[in-house]
Amino acid sequence: MARVLVQLKLRLLLGALRASNGARVAFILSSTLALFVAIGTFAGLAALRHNGAAVDLTAVVYTLFALGWVILPLVAFGLDGTLDPATLALYPLRTRPLIIGLLAASATGAWPLASLVGSLGITVGLAHGALAVLIAVIAAVLQVLFCITLARFVTTALAGLMRSRRGRDLAALAIIPIFALYEVFAQVLPRAIGKHELTAASFAGVDSWVRWLPPGLAAHAVQDASTGHAGTAALRLLLAAAVTVVLGWLWARALSRALVTADASTQTATIKGGALPFGRRGGLSGTIAARSLAYQRRDPTFMAYLGITVVLMAVVSISSLRGSHPEVGVLLSAGIGGASVGMQRGDAFGLDGPAFYLDALSLSGRRALRSWFAGQNAAVAAITVPLILVIPFVLAVISRHPVNGLLAMALGLAATGAGLGIADLFSAALPYPMERRAGSPLPRQAEGFTMQALAARFGGLIATAILVIPVIVAIADTGSVADSVRIPALIAGGAVYGALLAWAGIALGAAVADGKLPELFQLAARSKL
Amino acid sequence: MAEPASPGQTGTGQSAAQPAISVRGLRKSFGRKDAVAGIDLDIGRGSLAGLVGPNGAGKTTSLSMMTGLLRPDMGTVLINGVSVWADPAAAKAVIGVVPAEVRLFERLSGQELLEYAGRLRGLAAGEARQRAGQLLDVLDLKDDAKRLVADYSTGMRKKAALGCALIHNPQVLFLDEPLEGVDPVSADVIRRLLKRFADSGSTVLFSSHVMELVEQVCDHVSIIAAGRIVVTGTMEEVRAGKTLQQAFIDLVGARGTGGEGLSWLGSSSS
Repeated sequence: MARVLVQLKLRLLLGALRASNGARVAFILSSTLALFVAIGTFAGLAALRHNGAAVDLTAVVYTLFALGWVILPLVAFGLDGTLDPATLALYPLRTRPLIIGLLAASATGAWPLASLVGSLGITVGLAHGALAVLIAVIAAVLQVLFCITLARFVTTALAGLMRSRRGRDLAALAIIPIFALYEVFAQVLPRAIGKHELTAASFAGVDSWVRWLPPGLAAHAVQDASTGHAGTAALRLLLAAAVTVVLGWLWARALSRALVTADASTQTATIKGGALPFGRRGGLSGTIAARSLAYQRRDPTFMAYLGITVVLMAVVSISSLRGSHPEVGVLLSAGIGGASVGMQRGDAFGLDGPAFYLDALSLSGRRALRSWFAGQNAAVAAITVPLILVIPFVLAVISRHPVNGLLAMALGLAATGAGLGIADLFSAALPYPMERRAGSPLPRQAEGFTMQALAARFGGLIATAILVIPVIVAIADTGSVADSVRIPALIAGGAVYGALLAWAGIALGAAVADGKLPELFQLAARSKL
Repeated sequence: MAEPASPGQTGTGQSAAQPAISVRGLRKSFGRKDAVAGIDLDIGRGSLAGLVGPNGAGKTTSLSMMTGLLRPDMGTVLINGVSVWADPAAAKAVIGVVPAEVRLFERLSGQELLEYAGRLRGLAAGEARQRAGQLLDVLDLKDDAKRLVADYSTGMRKKAALGCALIHNPQVLFLDEPLEGVDPVSADVIRRLLKRFADSGSTVLFSSHVMELVEQVCDHVSIIAAGRIVVTGTMEEVRAGKTLQQAFIDLVGARGTGGEGLSWLGSSSS
């Protein structure tokens, strides 16, 4: 069974690689990344030798690995055919050989190998003496086994949910904390380390509870072996192994259940009210806005977009808040917020997908299209404008210069207007189908449309940056004017300028889309959302 | 036996009035492949017409061009005398469409979706809400009106799409494979609604490859193969004393060998 499932996994991988260039590129990128993670983790753990907080840091790194093993398969559910018990439900398989086979399949691949190689860094970083090195090797293997078993247990237990609409929604939302974590590791931590705000000593004692989890037990076992407490080391390893075995047993139970049950939570889910908002007023714009607003609240894609915008707005400013020019970070936050809204909305028809047929059958002429774009923009603005106003203001208050937050409002309003306007224009001029692929919680451009999508996104970013220059100049040049005059004037000016840009985008978008509705629909119909 | 389709031919015998759907020289190619190779078709008012053909015959492409969703390379489509491609606004106002792959705005509830369709078609809010409720009732979706369309089954989606297509009371209704993947109970609901709609004087054209269904409900049938209308006429004319299934196979030609190579298949072999 183990051999069959390992072969199945390899064949699925080879099949995917043969099928598309995108899969080949993704495989090469993923393998390269795995190699870097393996080398980086090994080197990082090895470098902890002689560090006072070595065991604490190792326990933290091991725990983070285990967390990664739990989260990533959930986001990538559907990418690995052997992850979903439903694919195996039709075959006459007994649970025990199936468990061993699935474990073997999980241990096959670049990432399990990278985890093992990285975890073996403990043999250099923590182990002192031959016995400790032996314990370290066992601890590293046990750590990887624990990660795989935990990941399999969680994925299997949630498999029914993950196959359901609600599970896919949750997976899409998981992109927000993952993106935030990525930004913290890529942006915030390196700067903090550079400024010596974060040192190894910061982690001392952090493992007071982590040490009792299997990854912490593994790390502390090596520490014990190195300090001559071989008995305690063995006990810790035994405890970690026992937890892994219990997890394995739970996984077996979950697997037997998952093979014959389905999630039914969405069968009873209803929404409150049930009637379309803006029922009485608003004409065509109001109707489109009502639908778009429901999507902003209910579609995890848009929630994820919003979350990513918030993370970006916080991350770009955080490092400058304590510096000598906190206003730069606050203004950047507002500007990035507006531009990111535009970048995310730059393919309105593709994001609507095949359902756009309802609209396409009803819309005719430039005026109707203007209403269509205006309705979409109104719904997006209703959700995003408050955030784009409030976040920079909060950041400015944190940096103890609230006035900067008020100035950022002027820029935020202009940038949002510019972003939405540019998005309308790009939606009509460079439409492309979107598709939600297995393993990607957010929809991406369909294969063959990468250049178009990149042009729309970066075009949107650059155009927004250029269009807000007058507002930045106005903010910079009016420093000598009294705040009581300057701030209201700038906010009003930013709002009017933003509204004008949004209106211009609506008019231009409608002009470009007019007469090519069938073509726009045909592209939208190719979206797989 | 009905004649092969020719321009000006009307199939239902109601030619005194202008046909509800009049198609002339409709063509569409994708690259070198002629998906629709020039079709002419007339469907009289009040007719319940079927467009049947094998997979890939050009049914969906034809219906998309007739409804203004796909631009033809050549040809004209008149709906109640209004040109779909010269005056799309006027033509769209009188048609309702249920596409083959019913992918709707999934994050709206059934009630919201029908109301949305009604509002798009210019109905007042109260009217849209009232008609949405009545349609959901008739379509047996009342208990699921507050559930998201994302959680609907295929049959429920087809019924919701039919509700969207009917909410503005169109004069001509186009349906692409309306009963594909629909359970028998839902299929019966849809069938009865279509009958009732056509009996009131409105026109229905639907594509299908389920011959029994077409035979049961349609008074007019056109057979399409390889992008051309092979035959069009009243049901009796096209059937010519046979079942529609047999007439269809005779006209389009049976394919495949019947599985003579699968000698191992079946419980008599080991």
